[in-house]
Amino acid sequence: MFAGLIVPLLLLAFAIALFLTLYVTQDGSLFTSIDTHIYGLLKFTLYQATLSTILSLIVGVLLAWALAHQSKFRGRSLLVALFSSSLVLPTLIVVFGLIGIFGRNGYLNQASLFLFDHSFGAYIYGLAGILLAHVYLNASFASRALLHSFESIPKEKYKLTKSLNFSVLERFLYVEYPAIKSTLFSIGSTIFLLCFTSFAVVLLLGGSPSYNTLEVAIYEAVRLDFDIGLALKLALIQLSISAVLVVLSSGFRTGLANLKTSYTLIPWKEPKILRVLQWSIIGIFTLFFVLPLLVIVIDGLGADFGHIFSEALFIKSFITSISFATVSSLFTVGIALMLSNTRRNFTLQTRYGNRRWARVVDAMVAFSGNLYLAIPSLVLGLGFFLMYQKSEGSEIVWSTTALLTANVLMSLPFALSVLTPAMHKTAQRYDKLAFSLGIKGWRRWTMVEYPYLKASLGYVFALAFCFSLGDLGIIALFGSDEFMTLPWYLYQLMGSYRTTDAAGVALVMLILVLSVFIIIPRAFQNKLDKN
Amino acid sequence: MTKILQFFLLLSLSVLATEKPTLTIYTYDAFSASWGPAPKIKKSFEKEHHVTLKFVGLSSSIGALRKIQLEGKRTKADILLGLDTSIAEVAKKTGLFVPHELNTSKLDLPAPYNDDTFTPFDYSYFAFVYDEDRLKTVPDSFESLASMPKDFKIVIQDPRSSTAGLGLLLWIKSIYGDKAGAYWKRLAPHILTITKGWSEAYGLFLKGEADMVLSYTTSPAYHIVEENKTNIKAAKFKEGHYGQIEVAAVLKSSKHQALAKQFLAFMHSKTFADIIPTANWAYPVVKGVKLPKAFETLVQPKKMILMDGKEVQKIRKSLINEWLEGMAR
Repeated sequence: MFAGLIVPLLLLAFAIALFLTLYVTQDGSLFTSIDTHIYGLLKFTLYQATLSTILSLIVGVLLAWALAHQSKFRGRSLLVALFSSSLVLPTLIVVFGLIGIFGRNGYLNQASLFLFDHSFGAYIYGLAGILLAHVYLNASFASRALLHSFESIPKEKYKLTKSLNFSVLERFLYVEYPAIKSTLFSIGSTIFLLCFTSFAVVLLLGGSPSYNTLEVAIYEAVRLDFDIGLALKLALIQLSISAVLVVLSSGFRTGLANLKTSYTLIPWKEPKILRVLQWSIIGIFTLFFVLPLLVIVIDGLGADFGHIFSEALFIKSFITSISFATVSSLFTVGIALMLSNTRRNFTLQTRYGNRRWARVVDAMVAFSGNLYLAIPSLVLGLGFFLMYQKSEGSEIVWSTTALLTANVLMSLPFALSVLTPAMHKTAQRYDKLAFSLGIKGWRRWTMVEYPYLKASLGYVFALAFCFSLGDLGIIALFGSDEFMTLPWYLYQLMGSYRTTDAAGVALVMLILVLSVFIIIPRAFQNKLDKN
Repeated sequence: MTKILQFFLLLSLSVLATEKPTLTIYTYDAFSASWGPAPKIKKSFEKEHHVTLKFVGLSSSIGALRKIQLEGKRTKADILLGLDTSIAEVAKKTGLFVPHELNTSKLDLPAPYNDDTFTPFDYSYFAFVYDEDRLKTVPDSFESLASMPKDFKIVIQDPRSSTAGLGLLLWIKSIYGDKAGAYWKRLAPHILTITKGWSEAYGLFLKGEADMVLSYTTSPAYHIVEENKTNIKAAKFKEGHYGQIEVAAVLKSSKHQALAKQFLAFMHSKTFADIIPTANWAYPVVKGVKLPKAFETLVQPKKMILMDGKEVQKIRKSLINEWLEGMAR
C-alpha cells in the first residue's frame, strides 16, 4: 500500500531539493534588494496575466454560450474538437501564425494597406500581441470546458425561463451563470497560472524588456547577462508566488479536462437577433482560430522541403524531439497511473479512505502531481542548470534529464485530471467484485483497468506527446547546436529570419502535432470498440 | 617480416602525426554564415596550417561569451571572436582567456587600443541604416531621430547580448551624459523591437518591418557590391559616430594554444585583411589594403567616439539598468 507513495514522495523531495539548491546558491540579499526593475517585472507579469485571464474568460464564455445555443449545425463537433486541440498546439506555432496574420507585414496589414492605404503598424510586438496569443491559446480551451457546463444544464430550466419570459440577461444570470460558475473559477485560476508563467509567447512577442515576465527575465539573466544572482532572485520570487497561487486556487481547481460533450436540444429557436449574435461570435472566433493555422499551412507549403529535410540540424532536432516526446509521454502515463492509483487508495471507503490520515496523504499526492503549476519550467531549468554547473557530469546527461523532467511534470496535471476520475470509477465499480474473486495485480490490470482506461490512456499519451513536442521552455536554457529540439530549431530559424525555412518547419510541427492528437486516441478507441 | 612490421609502425605513426587538430572558434552568426567571412578565412588559414578550422555561430557575440561562461571548463571553444573593445574588459574579468603575446603596435586603428589578451581584427562605425526608397525624411541627429513621427520605427539590439546594442548605449551616453536615461524614454516609442543580435535586427529591417536599423556605416557597401543596390544608406549623424573595434582572444582551456595564437597572428596578415572589407563589411586593421570602390560612397566619420573598455566595465551594469528603466512603459 505504501509502494504507491514512492513516486509522489520522490516528486516532492525533488521539489524541495530544487528549492534548496536555488535558496542556498543565492547570496542572501533576496528580500533586501528588490529594486525597481524587479518590481516593474512583477507588476507587468501580474498585470498581463490578469488581463489575459479576464479576456480569455470573456471570449470563452461568449463562445461557449453561442455554441450551447446553436447546438445543431453541420461541422459543430468538428469545430469543438478543433478548439480543444488548442491545448496541444505548440505556443511557438501559434505565435508564428499570429505574426503571419497580425504582424507588420502580416495579411491583415497588407489587406488594409491595399484597401485603405493604411497600415496598423507593429502593434503585435508588446502587450497587444501577448494578450492576443494568450486569448488564442486559452479562450478556446476555456470554451471547451464551459460548453460542457452549459450543456449539463437541464432542459427543464430553459423551459422555465421561457415560461417566465426571462430576458437573455436574466436567463444568463439566474440559470446559466450558476451552472458554469465553478468551471469558470477553476478554468480561470488555471489560465491565470499559465499566463503568469508564460514564457514562449512573451519571449517572441514581448519585443522589448518593458514587456518581460519573470520567466523571460530569468532566461535573459542566464543567457544574456550570465547574472546567476539575478536569475536566482527572480526564480525564488516566481516560485513563491506561483506556489501561493497554486495553494490558494487548489480549492476550486477541479478538473482541467472535460472530455465528453453532449447535445442539449433546446426545443425552440432563439430570437433572430440572438441567433445573429451567436452566429457572429462563432464565426468571428472560428476565423480568429483558423486563420493563423491556415497561414502556417499556406506559408509552409511555399517552403523548400527538399532543402529543409536535408539540413543536418533539422534531422537532428526532429529525431531528438520525437524520442523525447515518446519517452516522456510513456513516463507521464506510467507516473499518472501510479499517482491516480495511490489517490484512489486513499479516497475510497473500500480501501484506506476512512483512515484518519487519508485526506492528508491524498492532498499531498494531488499536489505532487500538480508540481508543474507551482514550479514554472524556467525555474526548474535554472535549478538543473545550477546542479549541472556544480557537478562533473556531462552536459548531455544533464540536459536530457532536465528536459525529460520538465516535459513529464508539464503533462502530469492534465494526465491526472483525465486518469484520476477514470481510475476512481473502475475501483468503485469493480473493487467488490475483484476483491471477492481475488483478482489482483497484473490480472486485475488487464481484466479490469486496461479495457476501461484504454481510450483515456491513448488520449493522455497523445496529450503528453504533443506537449513535449511543442515545448519551448527549458530547452531555451539548455539548447545549443549539439542539443536541439524542433521548437528550439524553429526559434533559431525565426531569429535568423530564415522565414521560408521557418514556415516549413512550423508546418511540419503542426502536422505532426495534429496527426498525433487525432490518430493516437482514435487508434486506442477503435480497438476498444471492436472488443 | 620485421621490415614489414616497421613499415606499418611508421605508417601508423605518420597517420597519427597527420591527424588534423580542430580549432574551434565561437563567433556571431553573421561571421560564421556561408555568406560571411568564415568560409574564406577557413580556406586560406587551412592552406597555411595543418588544421581544421571550425566556426560555431551564435546569435550574438556576447551570446558566444555567455555560452563559454555556461560551459565553463568544458567548453569546446579555442577562440572567441567578435567581441568589441567595449565588452572585452568584462570578458577579461572572467579569467577564461590568456594573453596573446603579439605585437599589436603596428596595427592601423582609428583609436588606440592595446590589450594583452584581446586583439583587433576589424573596425567600423555604428550608424542607423535605412532604405532610401521607403524613408523620405532621414534623421540627421539623435534629436531628430527621437522627434520623428509616431509611426516611424527602428530596430535595435539588446545591449546585454549584442555589441551593437551596447555600442548604441555608449554612443547615447557619450552624447547625453546624465540625460541619457531621459533620451531613452523619448526614443522608446519608436523602438519596434529589440533583438538579441545584429542579424535578427538587420533581417527585420530588410523584410520591411522597420524604417531604420542600428547597423554600421559600412553596411551599405554590401548592397552595392553584392546586389548592385544603392538605395540602402547609413544616416550621417551630426553628433558623430561611435566606433566598434572587433577583437578576438584565446581561451585558457584551449588544448591548442600555439595554433590558436597562430590564428590571432593570422588575423593581422594581409590575406585576412583582404577578406574583411567584402566579407565582414568592415575596415581591416592592417595598412595598405585596397578598399573596394563602394567604400568611397560611405559615410566617413571624422573621428571615432570610443569609450575606454575599463570605463565601460565600471558603468555597464548601471547603464543597462538605466536603459531598462527607459524602456519601461
